[in-house]
Amino acid sequence: MRRILTAAVAALIMTATLSACSGNEADHGQPDTDGGSAPVQLTIWHDKEDAVAAVLQAELDKLKPEVAVTLEKKNGLTEALKMVGNDPNAAPDMYFFAHDKLGVYAEMGILTPVTEFVDAETLGGFLPMTTQAATYKEEIYQLPIYFETLLFMYNRALMPDEEVPATTEDLLAFMKATTGNGQYGFVEQHSTAYYSAGWIHGFGGEIISSDGIPQLNSDKTVAALEYHLNFARLMTGESEYATVNTLFMEGKAAATIGGPWLVPTVREAGIDLGLAPMPVVNETGLPIAPYSGVQGLHVLKVAADNPQKNAAIKTVLNQLLGPDIGVAMAAASGCAPASAACYEMDAVKNDEMVMMMREVAENAVPMPNIPEMDVMWNATSNMLVDINMRKADVRESADKAQKQAEDLIASMQ
Amino acid sequence: MKSNKYKVHGTLRSWLCLLPSFIIIGLIVVFPIVYTGYISLTNMNIYHWFDFTVIGLENYMKALTVFDGGFLQALALTVLWTAVNMLFQLVIAFVMASLLNTPRLRLRRLYKTVLMFPWAMPGYVSILLWKNGMFNSQFGLLNQWLDRLGMEPVQWLAGDTVAFVACLVVNLWLALPFMIMIMDGAMQSIDRSYYESALLDGAGWFRRSISLTIPAIRPIIAPAVIITVFTTFKQFDVIYLLTQQVGAKTGANIHTVLTYAYENAFVTSNYGYSSAISIFIFVLLIVFTMVTNLRKGGRKHAENP
Amino acid sequence: MRKTLERVGLALLNIFFIVICFVVIIPILYAFSVSLNASNSILGSDFSFIPKQFTLNNYRAVFVDQPVLLWLGNTLILAVSSVAVSLFAAIPAAYSLSRFRFAGRTKIVNTMTMLYSFPAILSMFAIYKLLSPMGLINTRLGLVIVYIGTMAVFGVLNLKGYFDSVPAEIEEAAKIDGANAGQTVAWILLPLAKPAVIVTGVMVLIYVWNEYIYAITFMTGADHYTLAAGLYSLQATEMSGSWPVFAAASIVVSLPILVIFFLTQKHMTSGLTAGGVKG
Repeated sequence: MRRILTAAVAALIMTATLSACSGNEADHGQPDTDGGSAPVQLTIWHDKEDAVAAVLQAELDKLKPEVAVTLEKKNGLTEALKMVGNDPNAAPDMYFFAHDKLGVYAEMGILTPVTEFVDAETLGGFLPMTTQAATYKEEIYQLPIYFETLLFMYNRALMPDEEVPATTEDLLAFMKATTGNGQYGFVEQHSTAYYSAGWIHGFGGEIISSDGIPQLNSDKTVAALEYHLNFARLMTGESEYATVNTLFMEGKAAATIGGPWLVPTVREAGIDLGLAPMPVVNETGLPIAPYSGVQGLHVLKVAADNPQKNAAIKTVLNQLLGPDIGVAMAAASGCAPASAACYEMDAVKNDEMVMMMREVAENAVPMPNIPEMDVMWNATSNMLVDINMRKADVRESADKAQKQAEDLIASMQ
Repeated sequence: MKSNKYKVHGTLRSWLCLLPSFIIIGLIVVFPIVYTGYISLTNMNIYHWFDFTVIGLENYMKALTVFDGGFLQALALTVLWTAVNMLFQLVIAFVMASLLNTPRLRLRRLYKTVLMFPWAMPGYVSILLWKNGMFNSQFGLLNQWLDRLGMEPVQWLAGDTVAFVACLVVNLWLALPFMIMIMDGAMQSIDRSYYESALLDGAGWFRRSISLTIPAIRPIIAPAVIITVFTTFKQFDVIYLLTQQVGAKTGANIHTVLTYAYENAFVTSNYGYSSAISIFIFVLLIVFTMVTNLRKGGRKHAENP
Repeated sequence: MRKTLERVGLALLNIFFIVICFVVIIPILYAFSVSLNASNSILGSDFSFIPKQFTLNNYRAVFVDQPVLLWLGNTLILAVSSVAVSLFAAIPAAYSLSRFRFAGRTKIVNTMTMLYSFPAILSMFAIYKLLSPMGLINTRLGLVIVYIGTMAVFGVLNLKGYFDSVPAEIEEAAKIDGANAGQTVAWILLPLAKPAVIVTGVMVLIYVWNEYIYAITFMTGADHYTLAAGLYSLQATEMSGSWPVFAAASIVVSLPILVIFFLTQKHMTSGLTAGGVKG
């Protein structure tokens, strides 16, 4: 009996404590009923590394005491947004994320265009590529802050500057000459959609058209896949990042295509890292043109509909229009600023990696932000796995993936 | 139970005892099923996220298209997966639990604790460790050992069969601690005096197991075994994270019902449609249970380790 | 002669278990080695269990840079309350299903089992719709409700299985002595079914300890995280994060569970063996 009693008391105390705790946790983001002088609280969700978040927080802290912004790191941000999107008690006021999901949220009706808060003309100060990425159905839903593209990286100890391939044929010749005995001439995540998109674009193909039609079995895409197979054969069986990046960092691969996030760890590992423009595809004369991702702020409708917050959001977005935030991001984390003015400044001009991303971005294709893209990652990687890893026929695999993609898109409706 | 004494207890009292559990189960288990059933009748998708309407059985008609050759293959593989897993789990857990109950095994508590280690980590962490640490073809321990023995490296997660076995090993590694603990707990509940008389009769381990231990623990472990059958059938993480994760696919074409439904329905963010598929799988599992009559099946397995 | 044989047998058995234990924890030793390594990679050629560039910095990073103790506190509160409420709800229910004969009893057991076959992959959305109007999102109470609900069916069925194995005659003796049902359960049944209560409790505990999906989706802000959710947020991705710190955190998160498990082991024996009560 004593045991039962103890358990009962413990349970009671627990329940009491819990309900006491829960009282003041649920009300974040509630407007202050007093109005007037109290600061407006805004919450921004993000899933970025600490360095990036710290720069953004520091910039927004300048708005205190009128507006107090809290940046909250949210894991599983994209799924959580679907759930809480229009719940004023649980949704954030803004979120900081890549542009490629904004079509989904715009269709769901949880976003407000940023043009409601900032002058459309001032957005002209951003690189055209970034505002293009932020546009869905003629509305701009994101205030761009910085962007990322993949870079061609090489290890000078294994690939001297003068051997850096200018064309894909040069690259293939280099790979054939240097791959073997646990060494690789070039490695990349060959069977993931994000990485192979660059090759497809280099042949003038695309994964999905801007009006939402999959292009996986178009002649240009198939030509790219067939050509790319010559390269994939000379790479590892694995296609995920841990293997590919470790090979490069251990000096077992002479070159790779990777994101800017890889650069600090590569340098730490003591690799003499070189960055080069993307090789040009001999057949088409076009360079490998990877996807670019634009990171920026999106405003949720529930927050925009709140008059008090509406004004505060306006203040926040206007604070981020200038080049300051871009320069600070570049310095802190090697991010390529979205604001064109940044590239006139010495601090950015002298940053080799940022300038290289700027160069690649001339050809880079912003990830499609249409909702249909959501299902393309899976269909495309299935196709790539079939071709590169299961040695299936290229045309058949492409047809099969095209069919799967079309079915999935039909199922979205 | 043979006793008649408890028949007199009123139904009301029984239900009162059940009430707290029923409320909790109703909220967290039954409500989601009912809600999913409701959503399956609507057109809730990203184009009608808040303004969805009831559209009847349309989603179910559409869901029928998912049940194609690929689905049947996934279903067959899921059944095989469940059967093989259960067989190994029951046999290995039984042997381990019996050995752990050997009298005068002083370090028993230490062994038991160490054997529980796989269970003490979140599943995704363990799967990541296996994928990168053990199975990676370039750097994994397995291939480093093969290399030392002068053998060729193996692509552990690339071929269908070898990947299935790899997934099986990882799942056993994850699930066995629970099963050993359940069996061990059940064996602890057996009256020792039975054993003593059996030992005096000179019965060996095997005979004791067949005629004494198994019949005694069978009813105790039955609920846990049946629940494990369901969780094994529904197992998603192991196969998905090891072989099918987008961006880290390994080339193996192995799908269970759930990973297949995930790739071909859940990724569409069409909740109406996905809900219809979930309900389909739910009904399918219930039918599957009735056909194979799991209760007896579970007992047969336990009888025959 | 017999004694020697037995001793040899025991020695062999010990060797067997030492080997098995070692094999079982190889992946964990791998994580341990990564966590002690200075270079930021989970992979590396020429692996050895003894790291080449030994460092404890990753453990320092876990304890200094992350609010691990706060997470531990959150987890303990959630775990203890979930285990307590689960047992509190499950014991009477299991007792009722095991001992009382009433209409629909078998149906209840079968239905509860069937509920387990629902693929809960979409349940989170429904649970969100349920908890949100009650203001239980981003609260501990909300998570506790989810956790006890998820484990409730298992708890009831598992306890019932054990209760069934305890002969009802033992309780009848107590009844004759004038004990009521509650006293009978507390004095007679629970001591006899101690392994069952422990197994069920440990099961709920480990579930709460390792659950991260609800914890990261329903809770916002690192201060509200549980250990598993915090660990998940440390996960090294392609973009960021450190494998060695993540590995160190994994080990740190698992250790309390092992300690608890080791301590409960002592009580894993039934009253049937100790008390000499016979059925």
